[in-house]
Amino acid sequence: MSVIERFRGFGRSSRGAGRRRALYIGIAAAMLAVCACLDPLLAQEAATAPRQYGDFPVIGGRGAVWIAAQVHLLFAAFVLGVPMFAVVAEAIGIFGKDARYDRLAKEFTRLLVIAYSATAIWGAVLVFFLTTLYPAFWGHLAEIFEVSMWFYVALFFFESFTLYLYYYGWNHWKIGRAKLGHWGLGILLNVWGTAVMFIANSWLSYMMSPPEGMTPDTSPAMVQFWSAFANATWMPINIHRIIANVVFGGAIVAAYAAYRFLLAKTDEERAHYDWMGYVGNLIAIGALIILPFAGYWLGREIYEYNQQMGITMMGGFMSWLWIIQAFLIGVLFLAGNYYLWVGMGRIPGAERFTPYIKWMLLVLVIGTIVWATPHTMIADRDELAAMGGTHHPFLGALGVMSAKNTAVNLMILTTFLSFLLYRRANIKPTVSWARTGTMLQGAFFVFAAAIVLFFGIYGYFVTAIVRIGFSVYQVLAVLTAIIAVVLIDVALARGAESRGEIRWGQMPARSQYALFVLVVTFTWLMGLMGFARSGIRQHWHVWEVLRDTSEFAATPALGFAAQMISACVLIFLGMIAFIFWLGGLIERPEIVYEPPKPREPLLEEHGHPLAAPDLDFQPAD
Amino acid sequence: MIATNLKIVSVVVGTILFYTFLANAIPQVESEVPEELTLGADFTPEELVLAGEELYLGAGGCTACHGTGTRAPNIVEAESDGMIGERCAERVPGLSCKEYLHQSMVDPNGFLVDGFQPIMPDMSRTLSDAQVWALVAYMESLGGEVTVNAEDLAAAADAGAGAADAGAAAPAGGGPAPTATMEPMALLQENQCLVCHQLGDQGAPIGPPMTGIGERMDAEAIRHAILEPNAEITPGYEAVAGTMPATFGQQLSAAQLEAMVQYLATQ
Repeated sequence: MSVIERFRGFGRSSRGAGRRRALYIGIAAAMLAVCACLDPLLAQEAATAPRQYGDFPVIGGRGAVWIAAQVHLLFAAFVLGVPMFAVVAEAIGIFGKDARYDRLAKEFTRLLVIAYSATAIWGAVLVFFLTTLYPAFWGHLAEIFEVSMWFYVALFFFESFTLYLYYYGWNHWKIGRAKLGHWGLGILLNVWGTAVMFIANSWLSYMMSPPEGMTPDTSPAMVQFWSAFANATWMPINIHRIIANVVFGGAIVAAYAAYRFLLAKTDEERAHYDWMGYVGNLIAIGALIILPFAGYWLGREIYEYNQQMGITMMGGFMSWLWIIQAFLIGVLFLAGNYYLWVGMGRIPGAERFTPYIKWMLLVLVIGTIVWATPHTMIADRDELAAMGGTHHPFLGALGVMSAKNTAVNLMILTTFLSFLLYRRANIKPTVSWARTGTMLQGAFFVFAAAIVLFFGIYGYFVTAIVRIGFSVYQVLAVLTAIIAVVLIDVALARGAESRGEIRWGQMPARSQYALFVLVVTFTWLMGLMGFARSGIRQHWHVWEVLRDTSEFAATPALGFAAQMISACVLIFLGMIAFIFWLGGLIERPEIVYEPPKPREPLLEEHGHPLAAPDLDFQPAD
Repeated sequence: MIATNLKIVSVVVGTILFYTFLANAIPQVESEVPEELTLGADFTPEELVLAGEELYLGAGGCTACHGTGTRAPNIVEAESDGMIGERCAERVPGLSCKEYLHQSMVDPNGFLVDGFQPIMPDMSRTLSDAQVWALVAYMESLGGEVTVNAEDLAAAADAGAGAADAGAAAPAGGGPAPTATMEPMALLQENQCLVCHQLGDQGAPIGPPMTGIGERMDAEAIRHAILEPNAEITPGYEAVAGTMPATFGQQLSAAQLEAMVQYLATQ
């Protein structure tokens, strides 16, 4: 029976059906009428110029895109940073034959699966906001980067399914070569994630540093894809973000562990989450130590690309931002070190280092104060008159780069010393050259500090262009000392005696709150740096190419930006707390704390599977 | 458990609020957008100076360097040889005060004051011609006489319109007027060739590069490509076909064209 025949038959069946048919005909007629009315309107719409900007209620288009972009970026950092953390932890579990790390990696991959959905949702929100609120700008980007956008979507698929394989295959591929294959999946997950980040970074770095020669009259169709993609600030931002994601991942792990530690009901749970918090903090602060070097490279590339942009960033209307940044990084150093110093209370043998803590604290506090000293800020005539010049007559001398570079390098050295003392606290080296090795380590510290101080002071007596080069020597001295001391320490620890087992779990609650301060400060700092990177374009969507002509073109002052950043941080942390809670519902692990030795082998020396331990947590009853 | 959760929330929210307070406690500086200058036909020098002062102190971004005393010469304070309006006519022989100030804005590295680095950007990339002249007027007013007049602004407007007519690849502010130079690099720059073509480390990779062009084309082919740029499109550049102006036969003298061709043939 054809559709018409059925309709006819349907029409003959009853009076009610007849009424329904009349209703359908009426609806169809009404739709036709609406279409007829809309047609001229649509034609008129098509005839007018494309819309430049849309509007968003209450917070405006800029506010909507700001929140969507920032929260998406924070989630993206989480889902990129935590896999790095997980794959390293799994590797330590496999090659170090320590099953605790394997459990740690799995526990976090479970949270990752949930966080991944949130990342994708916020990404979709961002794209929809951009297409509806900034259609002309989005069109400009799409015209240049369309190919990379297709690749981005494809990589997103690969990343998603690799993540599912990685997580759901954990128990299936847990022995022998299959375990190595599983670890390979973790590496592949990181490769996809990094590639996705690199593509997105090209879009935002293009906005800062479009190919030279582009002007407002240059058509996007004339721009070669690769010159826009691999622009001047692309690679520095890639490297900076990779390291920052590791820092962020470590901080999130530490905060999660702190939360679990504070709510733990048994000593075993406390011991497990105390250890997890230590590992997270170690990774976060360890990566934080090298982050300023990557930031320095990025800043240098910005100056190389455009002096005006560099000056706007460091000495223009954003100059006060760097004072806040210095304060926040000071908090990070202080909180990270504080956690280590408190943690030394649970390590037998650490008492011998206690007298040094106050001196390390002094260096960190003085370093923070020097780093946060203002100099040559934007000031009006009244402010200049009140100061008696462009900076404070006495303290202003501490606000120049010579003093600041010296301060930050000494803070990095001090933090590294904290780690070293923590690591050495319960170790008694037995190698014959132990004393010489320790003295050599001390010499590296003194030598690096002397070089940093020398160039810091000498910098006051040379021209600016010479002084800028000194920071390279300072950085090299610190990095050399760190690498040399670590190598010596690894050799010293071989066959070393233990002064007593670390009493995991015997950690005061206040130390855990330091981990919360750490993660909040990291997250807020990421928002602040996002504002700095975006704000130095001022009233340009794409620097000196595509002008922002919207009502929100002026870059807001730091106070308003801080309110937006805080809103984004609250949204993100609120959702992360929900994900943590949800993760607990999915699988509530029964924690059994195991001392590090004897270790459970995951892979025999020659690659043959041994009787594999059950790596999975047993669900609680 | 509730007490612990409340403590955690208090620490988190307290830290966020503290940072927000801190950022609001420092001086608040907003980066303004340079407003388009609309002057009536009978504008007064005072109006021009006022517009220039607003730009100088605000959206022009000048105070980021001028006024700090270290990055760039101080504009608003008196130096040993007087205010900027007094000393500007003495800076470069042959240039009047307003010519010197205008050059220092659109070609800032043409004359560099001793002791300072070449960090000043070409302001014509971010400001309109009228805005540049308004800044010149403001600086002249600092110790000197304002000589910027309606003719300067009208000439700037004409140059801008002429540049706009010359083709889509021309810069927004209009390029310098062609001269009688026979120097190939100067010709390439004057005729905006480097806006789309790369030569060495200069130029933009929009059209086919001029680096190594002598190995790919002989002089005859290069001459043909300049005079009739759309006759043959280099493979891979179909997307930008038709964008190179076909007006160089009128813009360049025969000698200039030949100088440029011979120079490119050696690249």
